[in-house]
Amino acid sequence: MYCKRSAKYSPWMLHRYSLVRSQDPNQRRVLDSATRQRRLNRQLEALEKDNFQDDPHASLPPLIKRLPQFDENNESGKRRKKTRGDHFKQRFRKNFQTLLEEEDLSVSEGPNYLTACAEPSKFPQRHFCAVCGFPSNYTCVSCGARYCCVRCLGTHHETRCLKWTV
Amino acid sequence: MTTLVLDNGAYTAKIGYSHDTVSVIPNCQFRSKTSRLKTFTANQLDEIKDPSGLFYILPFQKGYLVNWDVQRKVWDHLFGKEMYKVDFADTSIVITEPYFNFTSIQESMNEILFEEYQFQAALRINAGSLSAHRYFQENSTELCCVVVDSGFSFTHIVPYCRGKKMKDGICRINVGGKLLTNHLKEIISYRQLHVMDETHVINQVKEDVCYVSQHFYKDMEIAQLKGEENTVMRDYVLPDFSSIKKGFCKPLEEMSFSGKYKTGEQILRLTNERFAVPEMLFHPSDVGIQEMGIPEALVNSISNMPEEMKPHFFKNIVLTGGNTHFPGFRDRLYKDVRSLTPTDFQVSVVQPQNPICYAWEGGQLLAENPDFEEMVVTREDYEENGHFICEEKFDI
Ligand SMILES: Nc1ncnc2c1ncn2[C@@H]1O[C@H](COP(=O)(O)OP(=O)(O)O)[C@@H](O)[C@H]1O
Ligand SMILES: [Mg+2]
Ligand SMILES: [Zn+2]
Ligand SMILES: [Zn+2]
Repeated sequence: MYCKRSAKYSPWMLHRYSLVRSQDPNQRRVLDSATRQRRLNRQLEALEKDNFQDDPHASLPPLIKRLPQFDENNESGKRRKKTRGDHFKQRFRKNFQTLLEEEDLSVSEGPNYLTACAEPSKFPQRHFCAVCGFPSNYTCVSCGARYCCVRCLGTHHETRCLKWTV
Repeated sequence: MTTLVLDNGAYTAKIGYSHDTVSVIPNCQFRSKTSRLKTFTANQLDEIKDPSGLFYILPFQKGYLVNWDVQRKVWDHLFGKEMYKVDFADTSIVITEPYFNFTSIQESMNEILFEEYQFQAALRINAGSLSAHRYFQENSTELCCVVVDSGFSFTHIVPYCRGKKMKDGICRINVGGKLLTNHLKEIISYRQLHVMDETHVINQVKEDVCYVSQHFYKDMEIAQLKGEENTVMRDYVLPDFSSIKKGFCKPLEEMSFSGKYKTGEQILRLTNERFAVPEMLFHPSDVGIQEMGIPEALVNSISNMPEEMKPHFFKNIVLTGGNTHFPGFRDRLYKDVRSLTPTDFQVSVVQPQNPICYAWEGGQLLAENPDFEEMVVTREDYEENGHFICEEKFDI
């Protein structure tokens, strides 16, 4: 049920690395800083996700009620009296971002959700290999990812680096 | 007249009557690959025989209640005949909310509690305030404390002085247990086995094998060693949900350093993942979240407090929330805070017996407190004065 990845730790990777290195390094594309930032943001957004797979009920016939799902076409004809239910339905639709914007904290005084966020650290940034997670001393010229050794750089080029689209 | 105490976390609801004990119950719904027609609510999770690829439907987003439909399904289940059989007309509720909860969420909360369920009375309060109450009850000579609450969505550091929340000191780090599990999933999937759909399984791996390092770079060196010298390395046996119901760590004496086992189980080999994942709580910038880690944020938060209170805060740091369960959490926090604090301050970090239910226990104590009647808003009050009275009385 768990599916195996074979990208790492095979001697095959080392071999592929030498192919990569034999290219003129100047010919490797270099990602600009905006792209690098987008990539980081996407990684951080992924860390907030509730699920990576699709809802297993998503492929079921539409008759079956799914969550969250709202009856959107009951406004037709004469406008119904607003019931508590409707009132809540409006609120159900608001995600975190909408609620935050509604709070309009730019005009509020005193501490609030935005001001309470921890400041950037005063300690220096630490660096870890994007492949194996051990401390790293080198930066990939193309994408800015960190790596620790020739072998990990090879894996990185093969698997992510310029292949990871944003 | 009874009081129901509900610490309504983004991951679990800590719930029970104040005269009774607490239960910890998933605050969400689930769908499984095998039961194609059913949505499971809260502790119905236990009915799912094969929770591989378990799909979560969570009422909270970034720690704030946004999906009321799901939340009400969970509450209906908790309050209803399956579980607490609440007699609303004769029950008060103590219920928790996050710091700086948005106004519209607070109002929805009032409406649901008083109009929908029709509780007799309600007290809405931050979980950290209940924890502080719990702490001051047990340590009645202390004047101040700092509550560190590291839960599913984020981590808060909040100074309290004589039961009063010091709003200027509240600090939120956007790292919680969810982020740690997702990060662990990501690095395992990249390095060895595709487990991106296995949040439930990998969350268990996290709770079973991760720890907070006391000497981070030293552990990094050990984790790179070969064979028996690598005392960090563990092989984790993944559940197959038929013969292996729950994953577990291979006992050290059965560990094979080649990673080959005769039995055909699926193994995850963990080295630096074990401590690099919880390290995000101490150095969020390691993964690109440019925020202070817990020790630095805590010292920074106290530095904004009045001078005469500072020593009282440093000697009353109290840990709550699920992430503080990681082995080594307390010692590391102590060590780091110690190193960032002038030596003439005494530093003391208290790890309660049950950091997940500490706030609930505070709610239980509060419900028995003679002042409790004064703190609640009754349904009558609410019907007469609406949201206004709640805004007046509750300090969210
Ligand atoms: N023994 C443990 N070790 C590490 N993490 C744990 C442990 N027990 C619970 N957790 C984590 O704590 C988080 C939930 O903490 P909790 O304080 O109950 O959160 P909330 O109040 O936000 O629901 C989850 O991410 C869970 O994985
Ligand atoms: Mg909590
Ligand atoms: Zn590496
Ligand atoms: Zn690269």
